[in-house]
Amino acid sequence: MGEPTKTFVITRFDPDKDEVPKTQEYEIPVEADWKVLDAINFIKDEVDPSISHRWSCRMAVCGSCGMMVDGEPKLTCKTALSDYGDRVTVEPLANFPIVRDLVTELEGFMEKFQRVKPWVIRAKEDAGAADSKPPMNDKGTFVQSPAELAEFKQFSMCINCMLCYAACPVVANEAEFLGPAAIALGHRYNLDSRDQGQDERNEIFRDEGTVFSCSFANECSEVCPKNVDPAAAVNQAKFGAVIDWATSLVLPRASAGRRGEQGGK
Amino acid sequence: MAGPAHPDAMAPSKPGKTRTAPPQMPASWWSHPRIRTYLAFDATGIVYLLLGLVALRVVWALGAGPEVWDATIASLSNPLYILFHVIGLVSVLFVGVRFFGFFPKAQPPRIGPAKPPPQPVILAGLYAAWLGVTLLFAAILGGWIF
Amino acid sequence: MVEVSRHDIIIVGGGAAGLRAAIAAAEADPSASIALVSKVYPMRSHTVSAEGGAAGVAREDDNLEMHGQDTVKGSDFLGDQDVIQYFVEQAPKELALLENWGCPWSRNEDGSVATRAFGGMTVKRTWYAADKVGFHMLHTLFQHSMRFENIVRYDEYFVSKLLVEDGSCRGVAALDIRTGEMSAILGRAVILATGGAGKCFPFTTNGMIKTGDGMALAYRAGVPLKDMEFVQYHPTGLPGTGILITEATRGEGGHLKNSQGERFLVEYDYGVGQKAELGPRDMISRAIIREIEAGRGVSGSYGEHAHLDLTHLGEEKIMARLPMVRELCKIYVGVDPVSEPIPVRPVVHYMMGGVDTDIDAATTLPGLYAAGEVACVSLNGANRLGSNSLTECLVFGTKAGEKALEYARGAPAGSDDALRAQAEEESARIDALRGRKKGGEKIAAIRHEMNAAMEEGCGVFRHQDTMGAAVNTLVQLKGRVSDLRLEDDSKVFNTEVIAALELHNMLDVAESVAVSAHHRKESRGAHTCRDFEHRDDQNYLYHTLCYHDPSGPRLDKKEVTLGTWEPVERKY
Repeated sequence: MGEPTKTFVITRFDPDKDEVPKTQEYEIPVEADWKVLDAINFIKDEVDPSISHRWSCRMAVCGSCGMMVDGEPKLTCKTALSDYGDRVTVEPLANFPIVRDLVTELEGFMEKFQRVKPWVIRAKEDAGAADSKPPMNDKGTFVQSPAELAEFKQFSMCINCMLCYAACPVVANEAEFLGPAAIALGHRYNLDSRDQGQDERNEIFRDEGTVFSCSFANECSEVCPKNVDPAAAVNQAKFGAVIDWATSLVLPRASAGRRGEQGGK
Repeated sequence: MAGPAHPDAMAPSKPGKTRTAPPQMPASWWSHPRIRTYLAFDATGIVYLLLGLVALRVVWALGAGPEVWDATIASLSNPLYILFHVIGLVSVLFVGVRFFGFFPKAQPPRIGPAKPPPQPVILAGLYAAWLGVTLLFAAILGGWIF
Repeated sequence: MVEVSRHDIIIVGGGAAGLRAAIAAAEADPSASIALVSKVYPMRSHTVSAEGGAAGVAREDDNLEMHGQDTVKGSDFLGDQDVIQYFVEQAPKELALLENWGCPWSRNEDGSVATRAFGGMTVKRTWYAADKVGFHMLHTLFQHSMRFENIVRYDEYFVSKLLVEDGSCRGVAALDIRTGEMSAILGRAVILATGGAGKCFPFTTNGMIKTGDGMALAYRAGVPLKDMEFVQYHPTGLPGTGILITEATRGEGGHLKNSQGERFLVEYDYGVGQKAELGPRDMISRAIIREIEAGRGVSGSYGEHAHLDLTHLGEEKIMARLPMVRELCKIYVGVDPVSEPIPVRPVVHYMMGGVDTDIDAATTLPGLYAAGEVACVSLNGANRLGSNSLTECLVFGTKAGEKALEYARGAPAGSDDALRAQAEEESARIDALRGRKKGGEKIAAIRHEMNAAMEEGCGVFRHQDTMGAAVNTLVQLKGRVSDLRLEDDSKVFNTEVIAALELHNMLDVAESVAVSAHHRKESRGAHTCRDFEHRDDQNYLYHTLCYHDPSGPRLDKKEVTLGTWEPVERKY
């Protein structure tokens, strides 16, 4: 008996040569403690160097190596090969245009990401004020209690691996949908005690194709490798957007709901 | 994978620099137990639509005279109708339990200065409200009040 | 066809140093156009993997003098003291700025930023966000950079050559990985922020992308690499993968133990004194190897290692301060640190050396700047203190951004045609390499041989003869690499041709490491030579400069800036 082997069925697509994606099979020897990524790297190094895939940190924090493994979105560097059978299917992330082999198009995501204004927005009148809210201490840092940090901390853990987009049934059917990670990020800044841009972001969240497109399938949270729970963020953002709208009816805003501004420029 | 997703899913606003293959849906779309649960959740909408139509029929019968009313009420004791109402009850219970399960995490950590109560309290409140509303309707329909 | 684009400043690398430089320049002049060129999307940069923290004076019981002194001593007196002084002054300001931009630093009850203990630091001065500090810093910087419309990103562009005209750096030739087409990205100044070169070694905490690209670019453009012999071995990596287990584990009270269950840093004299587990990295890495040599190593499936014991910290503290460590241990070695000790061994982590820069982040090539791990501004000398490097990225990233902008204001733009011609030449070179089926050498094979030579010759303990052997192997591999065989002739997202270019870069960098190490006949900081066990300030208190030369690396010396702290024996 030789060493154990597994067969990998890998999506191949080269836009210069292939009309549509096809699959290619590789039977390789595997080690007991390998992750799925180790097998793909072995194939790339020793069997077929023409396979293209993204990876880097191999410690589940850079977010590069998301792929579909036997039909489920997985971070391949933390997915144990021993959990799979003798035939393992590896495909590019679902719901993304395919650039080549296991490489997907990320530009659409980058646009959605930018749309939620993922940075601290400070109101103009508060910039540099001694009595800023929250107050600043003599070290030049805002005062933020551990409890205030805990309010948004979980939603700041997203590594942008995009597994949630590959799992989300709304992303699959509604191209405009901002999607789990982007909304979770916007919501993360809305919850940050240092941020004053909630009005702006809630306005974005009330637009079409944002929070109210979510049907709470909860798939994003099921597949998230970092336990960010984006479904919680999206549905909290729904509440936030509605309540913000309701209060704006009762208490009209000073500058038509645009309290925050693009500070820092 | 299971089949094509929306052709523009996750596409950039400008066409990409090289030709791409269209996005595919995950294979788990039909086959995964989680997805089946979600589909069943959404599919209960059809049951509610039908329940609504039945209710409309009853309301219409109310205006159409005592004979029609009696005939309509009698027809509801047909075993098929009873089965349908059992399905309706199961659907409501399923949706209630699943939705209540998700409800606590959908609460923002605070709205202004107000913070939501702890998860068990939210859950207890939801179920208590559900029970209360159910009893209230039962009381009205049973003729114990009004 | 080579596409030409123009900006004022070009930054190569999208990690902490590159992003910080971009933000500094974009803030200083909103009308300046800043190109941020990176071979990966910025959030994939290896800054993301840093765990433990970033140093900057924050507490009442601390001061700049103490931070400076710790850093000088940690550097084994090879750090430039003017640089260190500037660094410790700027550190708290930079870290506070990051706080203002949204970094989720862990907090004290009073709402101020919390600090933790770290190796070689006398006081708690390491700012942290649990044990994902690099991740949070990188994402904060990247997200903050998005608000500046004058930062133009070139994501997934691989810079393969610096474009130099009239003795000044005026742009880069960058391969668009997506299309396989060459671009000439032109500007009046270029900043390198491409990180280190851990991938020259087989066992490293570094990600796949850390292939010394920026060092090789500058080196081939005639800029010297400085102090390349100083390679930091982090004491605690997971056997097998080399995944980093942060020094914060020891900062929070973890113990290193041998197979007898002894805290060997306390039981035996390894020079760390009372500091024990909070000694500097070079000393603790040596101690672990010596324990293994003394027969007190723990055996495992990947050879002998030591134990890092956190069990006495308790689940609550581990979950609050070190959640990622727990996650990594469970996934990658099947150990839960709450109840079992973690297997650890020294692992290549960081290059103290890099592109020679002055205190203004400027290199010897006009118009070329460098910051972060790619650079050697001589903050870290012969051994870097943990948590100084994330702060270094901020302090000298800012400096590079500001100084490059200043330089760009007065510099001529150069000729589009001449620079494009250079890029076209580069394009032809890469076209010839792509799908080069007539070659006979495999990329992976040469990489493995290089890795083996570096491990053998430039490990924690070094010998004159093994270093010499490494130099010879590298010379031979550099010959063979010109006959690579490449299978992939497609233009779109061809990662094989990128791997070939990276291999060239790594070989250049590896050679400079081995040659510089072979030359330094003393033991200082991370460079421990068994043939010369002591530091020799008489003959070797200088920086090693390594110049590229077709006939092989040429070495030179550069004076160390002293003045405040006189060199004394380094003992804790």
